Amino acid sequence: MKTVDTRGLTCPAPLIKTRQALKEAASDEDVQVLIDNPTSLSNVKRYLADNRLEFTVTGEGSLSVVTVRRGEKGELSSDETEYCTTGKEPAPNRKRTTVVAVTSDKMGNGDDELGTKLMISFFRTLVMLEPAPSAVVFYNAGVKLATDDSPVLEHIRELLEKGVSVYLCTTCINHFGIRDRLPVGSFSDMYQILNVLKDADHIIRP
Amino acid sequence: MSFDLLSTVETGGCSAKIPPRQLEELLKDLPLPVDPAILVDISTQDDAGVYKINEETALVITTDFFPPLVSDGYEFGLIAATNSISDVYAMGGTPLVALNIMMFPSARIPMEVYREILRGGNDKAREAGVSIIGGHTIDDYPPKYGLAVIGTVHPEKIITNAGVREGDELILTKPLGTGIILAGHRMAMSTPEQLDSAIRTMKQLNAGGAALMQKYGVRGATDITGFGLAGHALKMARASGVTIRIEMNRVPLLDGVYSLADLGCIPGAAFRNLDYTEGGSCFADGLDYSLRMIAHDAQTSGGLLMAVSPDRSPELLKELHHSGHPEATVIGRAVARETAALILE
Repeated sequence: MKTVDTRGLTCPAPLIKTRQALKEAASDEDVQVLIDNPTSLSNVKRYLADNRLEFTVTGEGSLSVVTVRRGEKGELSSDETEYCTTGKEPAPNRKRTTVVAVTSDKMGNGDDELGTKLMISFFRTLVMLEPAPSAVVFYNAGVKLATDDSPVLEHIRELLEKGVSVYLCTTCINHFGIRDRLPVGSFSDMYQILNVLKDADHIIRP
Repeated sequence: MSFDLLSTVETGGCSAKIPPRQLEELLKDLPLPVDPAILVDISTQDDAGVYKINEETALVITTDFFPPLVSDGYEFGLIAATNSISDVYAMGGTPLVALNIMMFPSARIPMEVYREILRGGNDKAREAGVSIIGGHTIDDYPPKYGLAVIGTVHPEKIITNAGVREGDELILTKPLGTGIILAGHRMAMSTPEQLDSAIRTMKQLNAGGAALMQKYGVRGATDITGFGLAGHALKMARASGVTIRIEMNRVPLLDGVYSLADLGCIPGAAFRNLDYTEGGSCFADGLDYSLRMIAHDAQTSGGLLMAVSPDRSPELLKELHHSGHPEATVIGRAVARETAALILE
C-alpha cells in the first residue's frame, strides 16, 4: 500500500498528491491518504466518487485517513444518477474510434500545388466517411486549414455538426499568428492532443 | 515593488465568494423591495440591479470586490476594476461612474501597495470611460479591492439572465480556466506564460462584447465569474425557462488548464460550484472528468456568455474575432426545457 501525507497542506495540494499517488501506484495497489483539513477531505472524497473509485474513510480526531481500495474490485460500477440521456447516440459497446491527425496544410510530399488539391479532396471525402471519426486534430501547419479563408472550412463545419471534435494546437496557432482567424475548433494544449491520440484505435494521417 | 500580495491570502479573486447554495439560502427570506421602477432585482440572480429613471434611461448598479489573486498591486487593481465594471457590460449597459471599495491593513503592508492598487483601478476605469468619483477604505487584513459601478442602459435594451430564447446559440467570449491557472501558479505548476495569458484575459474589458450584443439584439447574457461556466449557465437557463446544452469540447480553454485539471489541480471553489449545480444539471455519459471540473472552475473577470439567434451568430462571432476576442466560440445552445436545466456534454 502506498501512503500520502497531506497534513498541513491546503487546497488543492491534497488532491494533487492523491491524484499523483493513484498514478504512481500499481493498478491493483491500495492508496492511503492522510488529510487534516475538512475542505480537502470533502473534495478528495468527491473526486474519488466521481471517478468511480472505491474508498473508505476512518478518522482520528482532526486527522482522516482515506483508503482507496483497488485490490480486488478495481473500478466501481457507474453512479447512474449523475448521468443523463443527452439525445445523442450512446456509444454501443465502445465503438472503435478513429482520429484524423492533420499535420500539414498539404497532403503528401512532392508538389505543393498538388498537395493542396489533395488535401481539399481529402476533406471533401472525409465528411462522407462512415462511421465518422471521433476527432480531427490539427497541428503544425495543419492549423492553417482551420482559418476563416480555408478552402476546407465548410467541411470542418460539417464534421462539427456530425459531432466530430476538432482540436487545434494552441502553440501552433500562436506560432503562425492566426489566433483571430479561427472560427471553429477548440484550442488545445499538447496534453489534451496527446490524450486524444492515445485513446484512438486508428489514426489517419493524410 | 517587492511586496507579494499573494502572501496575504489562501484563496483569491472570485474563489473567495460564499458558496452559492448557502448564499441563496441566506437571501431567500429577505423581502424584495417593491417599486415599479425596479426593472431587475436579485430574483433572477442577475449581474446587476437595474432601476428605471425615465422612458429613455435606466441605471445599472453593481459592486464586486475581492482579495488579491496576483502578486503585483497595480495588476490586482486592473483586474479587480475590470471584473467590477464587467457586470454593467453583462447587462448591456454603459458604465459611467464608480466608487473605490478598499480594505487595507495599513500597519502590515507598505502604503505604496495601496497606491498601486488604486492606480491600477483608476487606469482601467479610464480605459472604460468610467470616472472614479469617491470611495471608502477600512483597515482590514487581508486587503480587498473592487468598485461599485453605476452605468446606464435603455430600459428596453436590458440584457439579463432571463432573456435566452429556445433555439439561441451561446457564445463564450473568453477562454476558461483562470481559477485553475492561478491555483497552479500557487502550486508552482503553471508556467509564467500560462499565468501571463490568464492575467491578460482577466484584465481585458468586456466592452467590445457588450457593444456587439446591442448591435446584434442579444437579450440574454451574463458574465462568467465566481460560479463558473456551469453555475452561471444554470442560472441563465433557470431564469429563462430553457435548457442550456454546452458542448465542453468546444469551450475555449487557457493554455495549460486541461493538463492542470487532469493532475488534480482543481481549486476548492470548483467543488463548491459542483455542489450548486447538482440537481439542476446533468453530465453526458462519457463526459471527460477534467472538462466537467473546468466547467465549474470559478472565473475572475471572465468572458460574456451571450445568447444569439442562430442566423445572426456567424456574423456576431466574426465581429468578436476582429474586436479583440479571437477565442470567442459557439459553445452550446438553448433548447426547450428538459428535466435538467443544464446539460454538459
